[in-house]
Amino acid sequence: MISFNILFLTQVIFTTIIQYTMPPSHSIDNLSGTIPKEISSWREIEENIYNRKNLHEFINGGAELYLSYGFQSVLSRVYESEDEPALYLDIFDMGNSKNAFGVFSHTREFIQSDFGQGSQYTKGLLLFWKDRYLISLLISPETPAGKKVIRDLAELIDQVIDKAGSLPEIISLLPESNLKEESIRYFRHYIWLNSHYFIADTNIFNITDDTEVVLAKYKGEDKSAILLLLLYPDKDSAITAKQSFKEKYLDDSEAADVMKTEDGLWVGWKQENRLLSVVFQGQSGQICTDLLNEVEKKQKQLKSLLE
Amino acid sequence: MSQKLITRREFLRNSSVAACAGAIYIGAPIKSLKADDPKTKVVLIREEDILDNRWKPRADLLENMLDRAVSKLLGVDDSVKAWKQLIKPDDIVGIKSNEWSRLATPPELENAIRNRVLGCGVSEKNISIGDRRILSDDVFLKASALINVRPMRTHDWSGVGSLIKNYIMFVNNPADYHGDSCADLATLWKLPLTEGKTRLNILVMLTPLFHGAGPHHFNPAYIWPYNGLIVGLDPVAVDATGIRIIQAKRREHFGEEKPINPPPKHIFFAETRHHLGVADPSKIDLIRLGWNEASLI
Repeated sequence: MISFNILFLTQVIFTTIIQYTMPPSHSIDNLSGTIPKEISSWREIEENIYNRKNLHEFINGGAELYLSYGFQSVLSRVYESEDEPALYLDIFDMGNSKNAFGVFSHTREFIQSDFGQGSQYTKGLLLFWKDRYLISLLISPETPAGKKVIRDLAELIDQVIDKAGSLPEIISLLPESNLKEESIRYFRHYIWLNSHYFIADTNIFNITDDTEVVLAKYKGEDKSAILLLLLYPDKDSAITAKQSFKEKYLDDSEAADVMKTEDGLWVGWKQENRLLSVVFQGQSGQICTDLLNEVEKKQKQLKSLLE
Repeated sequence: MSQKLITRREFLRNSSVAACAGAIYIGAPIKSLKADDPKTKVVLIREEDILDNRWKPRADLLENMLDRAVSKLLGVDDSVKAWKQLIKPDDIVGIKSNEWSRLATPPELENAIRNRVLGCGVSEKNISIGDRRILSDDVFLKASALINVRPMRTHDWSGVGSLIKNYIMFVNNPADYHGDSCADLATLWKLPLTEGKTRLNILVMLTPLFHGAGPHHFNPAYIWPYNGLIVGLDPVAVDATGIRIIQAKRREHFGEEKPINPPPKHIFFAETRHHLGVADPSKIDLIRLGWNEASLI
């Protein structure tokens, strides 16, 4: 028994040392060494790794999106072929899987799961996410051979990144009925709220880096609405945001929790602990109430979001 | 005095204001144009066969399009004379291009502009075409004249990459201008290196990008052969015309009103806040030349 315990303890210590001293098997450096530099008729002609400090040099004007999602580093490769357009591979390390999902969700337009934990292919551009990585493969213009090489390389990368990551917990609060899954957006910067659904020209919900936000559309006969969930670091922040919303958007600090707006559609809100839920463009007051109640029910099942 | 908060409800209350794309998001007042107000001239020229099967422009046709547009803009029949109204032989000319690899200013257009500037008598050493390295380029640092040329595309942070935004490379730290979705980019046009120097603005609408996806905000599915150039003396009017086309394409493609996100407020603020030019379509005299099919405007 004693020898078993010693063996077990040794194993735990060894595993811990490995975990904290060795780079993960699929770090950006490791990926660079593992992903082939030659595939079909394409050969790598350029490789660069960028970090938070020099991401602006790599993405012209779009770096803020990635920085706001906790970007760590990116492996960028260009492959050339004699007869085909160049192939661009970018692998973004977003620090954790929540961020990787978030940045992927930013421009997701349909549900596809050919690669990783979610993918989207359109006319020469494949995007997919897995664990803490967002992967982009681009050939423009699209050709049959180019389309094939994108799929082949994506398959390899999917295998190299051998573990899946977890989704943001807040996503599980979304009621499933009539949910347009492709419309789910997850972010932690207020500008992305306006980018997906304009509410106000200032940050009336006080969204900071510590606020997790989910926006999703619902569509069904008489059931259409937009649901916004904001999870603050503490209850006080959620209460302050609720007050700000009532005063600045509802124009009334004592506003009812469901009301009709100028377009004939309904808005509703509910704050429970550190979660603020708001429904916009509800086709009826009832759909607002139903969605808010369903969120609350789910929240109660998830203790971590109640604390 | 604090600025008025603009909310979705604010413009729902004022649906007539919502009719103007720019005013939707920034609450800009719409002034009615008086009969004697001169309008700003903008030329939209399109050519059906300008692109080859890989969507590369045909150099000779492009040069011809440029000449016709400039002549029409200045009201001169002879394009050589028209260009000579813009550029003098002793000018030092910086051609501010855009080298974004996914949708760069076509080299064929850069060469056409260079040829026309040479034709005005400017010596080769006094002409430079540049983008990211213009602050270490003597021609741009000493320039007496600028020609501004770039493709239009949607943009994650500023709504669109525009002619106004194209001068961002005249500053050392572009991030200083990123606040409020780049609302005040027009101030770039009041820098010592830029103020009062721009002689011509050319917005390339050959294959504009009307929607973004992916890390570089570029998805080949969202460019289309519009086959056009928009040319004018007022960068705001040219940009404002460009976003009307982009917006119309988004409406056509998505089958619903899908405003450019984030809203390209820098173009409207260029008029209302910085008085760089006009964005209000009612103040713009849009002249169309060439191919008119699916013009969207």
